[in-house]
Amino acid sequence: MKSLTAPILLAALFTATATQAHDPSLHKNKGEKPKCEAMENMDHSKMDPNDPVMQAMMKKCMDQLHEESDSAGHHGDSHQPEK
Amino acid sequence: MKTIRTLLFAAIAACAGLAAFIYSGSYPVGADVRHTAFTHWALETLRDRSIDRAAASIEVPALDDPELLLMGGPDYNDMCTGCHLKPGLEESDLSVGLYPAPPDLTEKAADPRRQFWVIKHGIKASGMPAWGPTHDDQRIWAMVAFLQKLPDLNAQQYQILTARDDDDAGDHH
Ligand code: HEC
Repeated sequence: MKSLTAPILLAALFTATATQAHDPSLHKNKGEKPKCEAMENMDHSKMDPNDPVMQAMMKKCMDQLHEESDSAGHHGDSHQPEK
Repeated sequence: MKTIRTLLFAAIAACAGLAAFIYSGSYPVGADVRHTAFTHWALETLRDRSIDRAAASIEVPALDDPELLLMGGPDYNDMCTGCHLKPGLEESDLSVGLYPAPPDLTEKAADPRRQFWVIKHGIKASGMPAWGPTHDDQRIWAMVAFLQKLPDLNAQQYQILTARDDDDAGDHH
């Protein structure tokens, strides 16, 4: 059970980022966006869902997704992580 | 009696010699002239003993908290990388030019109590500022939490954890 958490969250994350990655409106922001696409290329087998660094990256990327889908008007998206 | 007088005279002469040296202006104060081995040892030992003593009674909170990493990461990236570097940045004008040189904090993490104390109080006559007057303990602990993980982060992980997007840009200062 525990070992499935990371792959499931990651899968949700990547399907969502992939559709949004090339939207030019994302580059309007002054602040720097976390480059969450990079997580896709990391070695998933070494990702421990209990590692605080992993948890922090997940949280950052989930938060970013929600901001983006909110500002783009995509409400009720299916990428909400189940907590 | 005679030896006491000789010792007293020697002590006075030593003080006068020291004063003359200070006034003479012959001490090389430039940051590009390295300390002698003795001065180096004396200053490092003074610093380390002082920090050890002052930091000994500090209680370390739980640092394995993702929220702390997300709070400390952007602060570190904004305020500290010019001197202390980050994954993918091997040197900077400040890391090369400052003496004592700022340690590369991506290499290995010191004791969290030591880090907390140094960040809060700074180090005299070095480039390390005291961040305590302008940042509360919570924010300093968040940076310590981040520093404990920093040596294990690659450039991508670092970027994700430290990116400060618009939403939280406002709460800096
Ligand atoms: C202007 C350059 C400069 C900046 C900016 C700076 N530091 Fe430093 N820092 C130094 C120098 C120089 C030292 C080493 C001083 C010495 O050895 O006496 C140091 C030492 C330290 C140490 C002690 C390392 C050890 O174990 O010996 C820590 C921890 C530290 N800095 C953290 C930070 C953090 C966190 C920030 C940002 C909030 C920061 N510094 C910003 C220059 C800087």
